Amino acid sequence: MSNVDRTQLQQRYERRMQLMVPAEPDLLAQQSLFAGIPEKARPKVIEKVRRYIHLVRYEVGDLVLREGEYSDSAYFIVDGAAEIVLTGESELRPSVRGGAHVPAAQRPNARPDVAPYIGRGSAGLSGTVILSALPANVGPGRGNLTLGPGEVFGEIGALSRYAVSATVKAATPLTVLQIRLPGLRMLLASSKDFKKSVEERYRERILARQLRMVPLFSRMDDSFVEDVKRRAELLSFEPGQVIVEEGSPADALLLVIGGYVKVSVHAGATDLALTYLRKGDHAGESALLLEDTWPVTLQALEHVEIVKLSREIFRAVTAAYPDVEDELWEESVKRLKARGAIKRQPNSSEYVQMAMETGLIHGESVLLIDLSTCTRCDECVRGCADAHGGEPRFMREGARYRRWLVPTACYQCTDPVCMIDCPTGAITRQVGTLEVTIDQPTCIGCGNCANRCPWGNITMVEKDEKRPDGKNVEVATKCDLCLTRPEGPACVQMCPHGSAVRISFKDLDRVTSTLT
Amino acid sequence: MIAAGAALVMVLVYAISVWLAPWSPKRGLGLVFGILASLIFVFEMAYPYRRSRARPFGTARRWLQLHVYLGALAFLAVLIHTGFHWPGGFMGWALLLLSAWTTLTGLVGVWLQKWLPVVMSEGLRVEALYERIPALVEHLVKEADALVANASEVLERFYLAEVRTRLAVVEPSWSYLLDVRAGRERALEPFRRMSSFVDPAEKEIVNDLMTIRMEKMDLDVHYSLQGVLRSWLVVHVPPAAVLMALLVVHILAWALY
Repeated sequence: MSNVDRTQLQQRYERRMQLMVPAEPDLLAQQSLFAGIPEKARPKVIEKVRRYIHLVRYEVGDLVLREGEYSDSAYFIVDGAAEIVLTGESELRPSVRGGAHVPAAQRPNARPDVAPYIGRGSAGLSGTVILSALPANVGPGRGNLTLGPGEVFGEIGALSRYAVSATVKAATPLTVLQIRLPGLRMLLASSKDFKKSVEERYRERILARQLRMVPLFSRMDDSFVEDVKRRAELLSFEPGQVIVEEGSPADALLLVIGGYVKVSVHAGATDLALTYLRKGDHAGESALLLEDTWPVTLQALEHVEIVKLSREIFRAVTAAYPDVEDELWEESVKRLKARGAIKRQPNSSEYVQMAMETGLIHGESVLLIDLSTCTRCDECVRGCADAHGGEPRFMREGARYRRWLVPTACYQCTDPVCMIDCPTGAITRQVGTLEVTIDQPTCIGCGNCANRCPWGNITMVEKDEKRPDGKNVEVATKCDLCLTRPEGPACVQMCPHGSAVRISFKDLDRVTSTLT
Repeated sequence: MIAAGAALVMVLVYAISVWLAPWSPKRGLGLVFGILASLIFVFEMAYPYRRSRARPFGTARRWLQLHVYLGALAFLAVLIHTGFHWPGGFMGWALLLLSAWTTLTGLVGVWLQKWLPVVMSEGLRVEALYERIPALVEHLVKEADALVANASEVLERFYLAEVRTRLAVVEPSWSYLLDVRAGRERALEPFRRMSSFVDPAEKEIVNDLMTIRMEKMDLDVHYSLQGVLRSWLVVHVPPAAVLMALLVVHILAWALY
């Protein structure tokens, strides 16, 4: 049983909302944040971005960001000081969340038998907390870093959609400008100084670590990676924008650090989707090795952040590390074979295309029901209800694609946007796990997560409990992959016909083999 | 394969035993097969507990497979128990007929569960929850009413006379078991006829009405076939329960007399 006082949490949230006010243009104009914008254009830019900027005040000790959570905002300190706490497992967490929702079974590898049911994809960068390269005296057990007026934090996590790398709390009474992602993008487009400073910070704090996570760079020595980091170019693309066109000269290796990229090939008058790239994936090595043109077209499916490594850097890498070159050849052959296979059998491209169009590519564990074997007995729903105190966490209704039904059940997205803006920290995903869970005693029913879920997979449910105003308490509910069942998700296990499957859309081979 | 192998072994054991000595259901292997059949029947009755007891067999799918294959083997065991002879007396006949009926209806259920989902997924564009079908039909009627609200008198008359009545209620039919598209062409013919009478703007409305009618027919098919998938258990479970009750009497009678 949890000892969390929901009313107290609700009041705290309401107080916070009262302290969050739209930023006035005069105040914004005084901030160094806008200094890089030409004076003439400044009022216009401020007017445009101010709807995405709020002035927020925090008391000493209040949390601004929690380590491991997701955020869609950057924070600019107007007044006061913020402390960055790098604990790995923040001591602040239980006091805020009631410590009620991290059962032992949630530990990574705690349920070794469930892998076939939850469709865990191959390991990648996703879900990995990127610890910023903060000064050496900062870190778990070593000390904290304090940021003062004029400094910005949170921008890299918001842009790259990585989990927040450190807890940030108010060290003094703190006033910040909370800049939501659209405003942040506008500022990056309008202010060269701001863009430069963000890029520099990214280059300094994150890039080396990200490069190290890509197998290509994982074995290189520090000085080499430092050199690559210094010479790399950072690029941003809008949704739909073509990054490279098939047949155009290949002059760089592209490393995706945020967003999704569609990879396609021309086939007659149409394009065939081959695969997609997500953060940590790279493209361009085949063309560089073969000294050929781009064999594929790359197109941004959403806002995409890319690190561009020139041909010279690539050559330096392959010259210095022949084993890396061998691996790249192998990878290239594999990719070119896949490209040939799709061209020969265009039908196999259809599911990849569908996954991109419907957003299923975000799913780490998507529930699918094969309608050609499903007897509509609803055992999956009953099993789900049995595992959750009589309340099912999904509906056997949803989009249909050929013989597959995609029920209204949480996809456990790679970048769970539902986790942004939870005022009590009730919705969480433990690092290294798939399950995004909602701690019901801590949920105050604000509906932020349900409104943010692009697929409508979070439902607000009325409880018998009464609020102080007499209304029934509402809480958000969603699929948690039956976290407390050692056997894994009940929907899959209780289907008598094997029609319910869970697959990760990271694993496109399995997606194609399962769906076709 | 395992079930087929087990069946073969059972028949071979019976054949060898009969060759060696006269067969009797009351002793020796005859009795063993009777006990085996009874034990399997008890296990078969435990199928509804798969939800809470799924763990020993892994998934519900494995439970169902065991239920089906063991059920078929149990009937074979009953036949061997009787020595492939007609039983004597009311109890013997009742037990044999109920075993046969339960096994047969079970196998029919398996066949329905294999066949109907394929038919529904391939033949229908709409997918619907059984319980929600009446509400969805109601929604379609409202949609159709809204479409003809400002239509010409001719179209309104056509709608009221030939469309609305068929839209208003769910119309299940056994014919869908044979063909999920049964009656579809005939049902759509009036719309095609009407299309040639109305102006282009109203043609759109007729086309929309035709789409609604097709969706409604899909819902009718769902209602019929999902209804069959839900209701076939009525002919399987109650006789199985009666069989179990008679089996208890049969065992007690054998033990006491």
